[in-house]
Amino acid sequence: MRLSIVNSLDSKILIFQGVIYFNFESILSIIIRQQFPPERSPTVKVTVSQQQLAHGLSLVSRAVAPRSTLPVLANILVATDEGRVRLSATNLELGISCWIGGQIAEEGAITVPARTLSDLVNTLPNDPVLLELNPKNQVLNVRCGTSITDIKGIDAQEYPPIPVPDLADGLELNVSDFKEMIQQVVFAVSTDEARPVLQGVQMSVNGTFITMAATDGYRVSVRKAELEHPAASPFSIIIPARALSELARIASDGDQKIVMVTPPGRGQVLFHLRDAELVSSLIEGNFPPYDKIIPTSFKTKTILSTAEFLKSCRQAEIIARDGNNIVRLDIQPAVEGAPGVVEISAQSEETGFSEIKLAANVEGPGLLIAFNVRFLREVLDVMKSPNIVLQTNANNTPGLLQQTGDDSFIHVIMPMHLG
Amino acid sequence: MPMAQAQKLAPALLVLPPDFEAYSQASDQVMAILEDLSPLVEQVSVDEAFIDVSDLPDDPGVIAARLQARINQETRLPCSLGVAANKLVAKVANDYGKGSRKGLDYPNAITVVPPGEEAAFLAPLPVQMLWGVGKKTAARLKTLGIETIGQLADAPAGLLGAHYGKWAADMQRHARGISDSPIVLSHTLKSISNETTYDKDIGDIDEVLHTVRWLSDKVGYRLRKHHFCAGTIRIKLRWSDFTTITRQVALAEPTNHNSVIYDTAAGLLRAAWQRGRKVRLIGVGSSNLQEPAVQMSLFDPGQDKETKLLNALDELREKYGKKVIQRGREVGRQSAFEEEEEE
Repeated sequence: MRLSIVNSLDSKILIFQGVIYFNFESILSIIIRQQFPPERSPTVKVTVSQQQLAHGLSLVSRAVAPRSTLPVLANILVATDEGRVRLSATNLELGISCWIGGQIAEEGAITVPARTLSDLVNTLPNDPVLLELNPKNQVLNVRCGTSITDIKGIDAQEYPPIPVPDLADGLELNVSDFKEMIQQVVFAVSTDEARPVLQGVQMSVNGTFITMAATDGYRVSVRKAELEHPAASPFSIIIPARALSELARIASDGDQKIVMVTPPGRGQVLFHLRDAELVSSLIEGNFPPYDKIIPTSFKTKTILSTAEFLKSCRQAEIIARDGNNIVRLDIQPAVEGAPGVVEISAQSEETGFSEIKLAANVEGPGLLIAFNVRFLREVLDVMKSPNIVLQTNANNTPGLLQQTGDDSFIHVIMPMHLG
Repeated sequence: MPMAQAQKLAPALLVLPPDFEAYSQASDQVMAILEDLSPLVEQVSVDEAFIDVSDLPDDPGVIAARLQARINQETRLPCSLGVAANKLVAKVANDYGKGSRKGLDYPNAITVVPPGEEAAFLAPLPVQMLWGVGKKTAARLKTLGIETIGQLADAPAGLLGAHYGKWAADMQRHARGISDSPIVLSHTLKSISNETTYDKDIGDIDEVLHTVRWLSDKVGYRLRKHHFCAGTIRIKLRWSDFTTITRQVALAEPTNHNSVIYDTAAGLLRAAWQRGRKVRLIGVGSSNLQEPAVQMSLFDPGQDKETKLLNALDELREKYGKKVIQRGREVGRQSAFEEEEEE
């Protein structure tokens, strides 16, 4: 479309020779308007609260693609939508929208650079903000208090279409439960871009049973829960970890319910909240059969205080992180009335040595086993019970961590082999 | 004895100037031999060290004899060794062995105290031979009627306690040959590197890369032998005009794999290479040494292929010598290089 304008430029300029005080741009705009007589471009005129606007921008900004080859993806869509103001951003894999209340004087849409608008709004006083689009030049005028700013935008027509979900077939999820599920698995995903399947979380739903699992090949985190209403048909999808982390961030507990929709044949999943929506493309591929590698019987069962164990791992990590991240757990059963002990030690050629003794309830033979301390710390961070159970067999077979008296969350870590 | 006094006593005395550099060189040479035997070496002084050989399969007496022969042969220096279950008794055994060889010849002794016989071995010896008992203590013990280590061991605890307090118990334990003081690693390896100087300066990068491959294999072998992984790989390059550069890079994951060392070193060489210049010396080094540790995989347990291959090759070399298995290109070529090892 633009090429045709440029091609016809020469002849048109001749027509305007008599009025050479037009600068090039305005000539161009006249040419465009002559060639493509404008349908009356909708304008935007809304008043919103600065706080709500700033909050909304902070939610959707995470999906902005600042360095995309498609310039409009660096922008945020500001649109009126059924009595509210919609803010949307997408990088084509992940899209986030949110709605804020406002007084709408004129309906319309525009996209403006995300960074410019966010930075500006963050500096504005806590007063009503008037957003008004000049449809002639796609400039958004932002007024708040004594400040007046014009931001050059890109026509909303150029923005990728945003899917409108059919929420009727959606799966209802409880916000606080679902956030906890995400938190307990999402950290175990891989960062290896060569294995995209492991960068996602597998979600399997069958009737009222929902299971989420993540693995990076060295550990696997599995969280099960029950749904209030059963799913129409069983399914299993792999959702990018990034999308779930963002969802956990934008879903506030006040939302109460998340409705999840997987429109057939689109390779997408959409999560609908009261004031926000997140859409993500799904990861194609086969998730590793993690069920098979979770041991079913163990020789040694160790019960530790979650907080103490976590603190010890944090301390050991200070030494271990400069080396190879190894901590050794020396699990010693009770002897002659002396209680069981787990000695946690870390050593680094560069930094030094650390040893922490923890009282523990140990059933079964003692064991010296080495783990990546980061793996231990990350899982202990999301354990909710006051005590945890660590079950082991040998120093070269996986260890299993669980919350005491709770089978809904299991975490399996493969030990480190000392050469 | 002051030198002036010595010369007065023996006018024909031949006085040699001290040569600390030579001593320290000889010391390094001996310590290197010890470290070749076991990484658990505690160097106490320039000419004294403890070695923990608990993990070696051979009889400690045999190890001592072999070690002495090697030191005699390679350094032309005499040496005495004491063998025992702990540092304390080994030290006394060594002093005893050295002292009991009379004559003008060097002692070059080996004294073995079998486990369980520590107390019996120590009993007849004078108390001064016990580590920590000096002249003054010995004199005071003598006033208590204690002259031998055996008497010290048998002395009533109350008697000693009255004079030496807490120290008494330690002294008596030592007198019975009991000590659990561990080997303190005095010399921790900081880096492992190999370099070679060409007979003739080389201008062909492929030729130099070939040397880098061979040096990388050596560095990898030595890392594995010392049970280390390296976090940093470097190269040293000396051009024909003697300007020398080093280039190094930190690895994402510590390694002792020959292939990773080579790939990294080759990358550094290619980046530093200047067309038209010739190389006199090339070295491959590794530092930031740490304990090798591999995060095992859930879905593919067991070691990876290269680890298995390298372990097999290392075993062959241990058993049949370093040249038993080589890369095809290397057969018959090594003699062309003059090679140095650095730690």
